[in-house]
Amino acid sequence: MSSRTKLRLDGVGKRFDAAGGTVAVEDVTLEVTQGEFMVIVGPSGCGKTTLLNVLAGLDAPTTGTVSIDERPIRGPGPERGVMFQDYALFPWQTVWGNIGFGLRNGPAGDGLDAAGIERRVRATIDLVGLAGSEHKYPHQLSGGMRQRVALARLIANEPEVLLMDEPLAALDAQTRIILQEELLRIWGQDRPAAERRTVVFITHAIDEAVFLADRIAVMTSHPGRLKAVIDVPLPRPRTDATRALPETQSLAQHIWSLIRDEAYRATVT
Amino acid sequence: MSAVSHASRGLALPAARSIALPIALLVVWQIAGTAGGNPRTPVPTRVLAAAMQLVESGDLPLALLQSLGRVFAGFAIAAGLAIPLGLAMGAFASVERNVDPLIESFRPIAAIAILPLAILWLGTGTPAAILIVAYAAFFPIVVNTAAGAKRINPTLLRAAATMGLTRLKIISTVIVPGALPAIGVGLRIAMGVAWTAIVAAELAVGAKAGGGGSGGIGQMMFVFYAYSIELNRIVVCMIAVGLVALALDRALRAGMRRAMPWMSA
Repeated sequence: MSSRTKLRLDGVGKRFDAAGGTVAVEDVTLEVTQGEFMVIVGPSGCGKTTLLNVLAGLDAPTTGTVSIDERPIRGPGPERGVMFQDYALFPWQTVWGNIGFGLRNGPAGDGLDAAGIERRVRATIDLVGLAGSEHKYPHQLSGGMRQRVALARLIANEPEVLLMDEPLAALDAQTRIILQEELLRIWGQDRPAAERRTVVFITHAIDEAVFLADRIAVMTSHPGRLKAVIDVPLPRPRTDATRALPETQSLAQHIWSLIRDEAYRATVT
Repeated sequence: MSAVSHASRGLALPAARSIALPIALLVVWQIAGTAGGNPRTPVPTRVLAAAMQLVESGDLPLALLQSLGRVFAGFAIAAGLAIPLGLAMGAFASVERNVDPLIESFRPIAAIAILPLAILWLGTGTPAAILIVAYAAFFPIVVNTAAGAKRINPTLLRAAATMGLTRLKIISTVIVPGALPAIGVGLRIAMGVAWTAIVAAELAVGAKAGGGGSGGIGQMMFVFYAYSIELNRIVVCMIAVGLVALALDRALRAGMRRAMPWMSA
């Protein structure tokens, strides 16, 4: 595997002044390699989303540094695509309009003519299974369909880095399994690491984390800290058979053991 | 079964009720007005006759068209200035900081209060009337546009930023459509205000011009009031003003619905 560092978080802390000086994350150091599928898991309130926003350039860290290709991140950029937890779909755009938004209005569409954009949007719509809903507006869609639109919009822009905040959480179990495999295909699990995109993927579903990840960053809360980074040495390409492997089960058990106490505390209190 | 009959009664009754009261009021008006014995007192039958005369002679349609022309001109000027300014206020905090105090200090000054200046500068003709309409219509549009542009879901702005859109592109593709419902509300309020202002302006300009040739529905009312003392015709004008306002609002609403297909359902 190529070991070029794509994203680097070095001693990153983020404090929100508005919420009475709440510390969202503290002293997080993490490197994400080019072509790596990094999954962040942790209980709610552990600052996963804050970390993602820092990588996206939407929030500046209070302490520490964050960089992409060894250049400091000073703001959002089209090479880092974001899928937001609340989808951030434009209510005045149809499914078609939302998915093609970045291609029509941003640098993602540079070098593509109208026909090229149309082909890309069409292909992405087919990929996420939204054919037939092209002309619907977001408010006419179910939560799961909205999530697919957001996923499709991210994919259509073809960013180098995909930052995804619980992108499959609203889907039913079957669709979720299908899209997990699609996501691995889009990421490039059949290609050499140098040709893969880099993914940072937030989830609270441990089985999903194990199935997708090269490495899993486990976080704890109050304040959000990195508790462990775990290698997932499961063979690729991963398929249905991967889910049934005993290694898959034992890894999931291990990760659960790391966050179990805190998850219980958060639930009981 | 009972639910069905309930529903159908629920539909029929409000419709009957909503015309019952106006009809009762018309009847009371007719009886009370006739009882006084003064033939000049406006009552529904006389007003109807006056309306038919005014429409047949073409005087009323002409006056309405003149007023409407001024309203549209003033309204267009107001929208042309207020929408870009409101968007800039919503998109740039620095613009808002500088412009908002200015707007808020002029806003309470009624349009009719600038009439003396308008007449002095522009005379008693159409330009003065248009200026007053534009002044009146400007404020509801700018205030609503700015509020709408500021209320846009910040995640949408962030999403656009992560897709690498320029600031200008974000304004045209996120802030403008996001503010459109609020702009629509501003335009509807402004249309009502503009129509009110034109009648007031024409009344006053008509008074100043001594019933001269400035025209419009307001001036027509002034002539009926000050020269020929035709109360029935004044009432006709009042009703015409109300009906035109209603039609303008409905047309604007229909236009908004077409411009914002995502807002329906």
